[in-house]
Amino acid sequence: MAERVYSNLMRELKAGKFVFTGELEPGKEGSIEGTIEAARKLLGHVTACNVTDNPQSFGCVDSLAAAHKIQAETGMECICQLRCSDKNRLALLSSVLAAGVLGIKNILAITGDYVSLGDTPDVKPVYDLDATLLTRMIRRVVDEGKDLRGGEIRNPPKLHVGVAANPGSAFLDMEVYKLKRKVLAGAEFVQTQVVYLPEVVDNFFAKVKEVGVEIPILIGIFPAKSYAEAKFFHEQVSGVTVPEDYLAKLKETKEIKDKEKRKERIDQINIDYFTGFLEHLKSTPAAGCHIMAVGYPEIIPELKKVVG
Amino acid sequence: MMGQKQKPFEEILEKLNGKKKIVLMGCGGCATIFRTGDPVAIDNMAEKLEKNGKEIIAKIKLPFGVFCCYLPMSSQFLKMHEKELSEADAILMMSCGDGTQAVRAYLDEEMSIVKPIFSANNALGFVGEGPANFIEKCMGCGDCILADTGGICPLTQCSKGLLNGPCGGTTPEGKCEVDPEKDCAWLQIYRRLEKIGELDKFLKIREPKDWGQATRPRRLSVEPIDLMEKLKELKATLESMGV
Repeated sequence: MAERVYSNLMRELKAGKFVFTGELEPGKEGSIEGTIEAARKLLGHVTACNVTDNPQSFGCVDSLAAAHKIQAETGMECICQLRCSDKNRLALLSSVLAAGVLGIKNILAITGDYVSLGDTPDVKPVYDLDATLLTRMIRRVVDEGKDLRGGEIRNPPKLHVGVAANPGSAFLDMEVYKLKRKVLAGAEFVQTQVVYLPEVVDNFFAKVKEVGVEIPILIGIFPAKSYAEAKFFHEQVSGVTVPEDYLAKLKETKEIKDKEKRKERIDQINIDYFTGFLEHLKSTPAAGCHIMAVGYPEIIPELKKVVG
Repeated sequence: MMGQKQKPFEEILEKLNGKKKIVLMGCGGCATIFRTGDPVAIDNMAEKLEKNGKEIIAKIKLPFGVFCCYLPMSSQFLKMHEKELSEADAILMMSCGDGTQAVRAYLDEEMSIVKPIFSANNALGFVGEGPANFIEKCMGCGDCILADTGGICPLTQCSKGLLNGPCGGTTPEGKCEVDPEKDCAWLQIYRRLEKIGELDKFLKIREPKDWGQATRPRRLSVEPIDLMEKLKELKATLESMGV
């Protein structure tokens, strides 16, 4: 881990606090007022928020521009996602330097969903770098003031780089080896794919310990705001298993005609489920929890209230 | 070898619009393997074009083993058909783009026959395996990394071409999220490295690719082979194998 601390996120992780992060998703739109409003709702409840970069390969507001505006207007610290699908190493370097200029203190380096999975499947994919190489590039820029070829960077940006991992991977050995490689490249923190099952967390940390990954890991959770969302994760997202009883309870809410009552019930289902999950999480080596409640910011304070 | 598929006939016909006298030329190399430039494919193409009012004034059929992209061999056949090539309104190459351009350059520069010429086939890159099913194995990046990846090329086998994969899209069945029919290349690499006791290579960070090696067109210079000597060798080898 870098010796210096540039962000509140890193400060709290280094202090050993159990850290909560949230997620904001600027859309395919020319204004992000809704995203800024969501950020305001999370203020005081999370240490920082991820700002997605072309999620699921849909062309959206640039994550750096959105993060800058969110930070300026709300004071919420952002973790800018930066994916390799759409930019070559020159453009990625530009983004890292821009992050410095815009006062962004954390980047999550990700490979990115394949472009054909999005709304412009005929686009030419880039992948000049991958998450590992982007991580290495960022650390060289920040720590050494050099680009990948050793070219000098004046006044290098001061920021931290995190990476992703999937605790639910069917190939956990390979997954954790890959994570180890990202750590060797300079990763400073991890935010994981969504997990629902406590045993998945336990197996992951056992493997992490065995392989020797020693950076802070925030486990990802996704309180679903509808049955359809939870079903999507269960059926479509690699390595994510949503428990049957949780799914069944959400399914039952489809019968509730009154919207407010339905929402109350869904909130309660999430509070019931994730209270136990978070209590378990606190008994593991997890450094915190990354709550991917996009479009559902009000659940985060509720969950934290219960967990304390 | 160069994988290839014939273009839709309507597209070929549209490209030959306004051209009456046509020379067809095949290839005894890859296009024969893929049945896009062998004698049968040439005859079928000739028949279809004739039904559409074209006059086929020559069918240049190269025997198996004679690659139209290798001019020391294929130029012998061009010279034999100098008259028809000179009279043609267009030349339809039943080969890949490489063969088409090699022949085009020879006709232009060595025979002063400057004609419209195009390929009837779409080339699909280097492919291997066969005899019926083929898959792209090598993209000719100019900077081979197979020694570090268990003999499996991630640039061609991984949909994202990742040097430090896999991505997060390996399905529980070990397939690729982009193409559920395809094995995750990086899982294959991991398993193979594990089998040969080289898992340390998985942990090694592969540096960004030097795409400068792939700046096009790439050029090569070699000492030319002695063609007649090679043909004698081939004959002797085939005879010793009882073929």
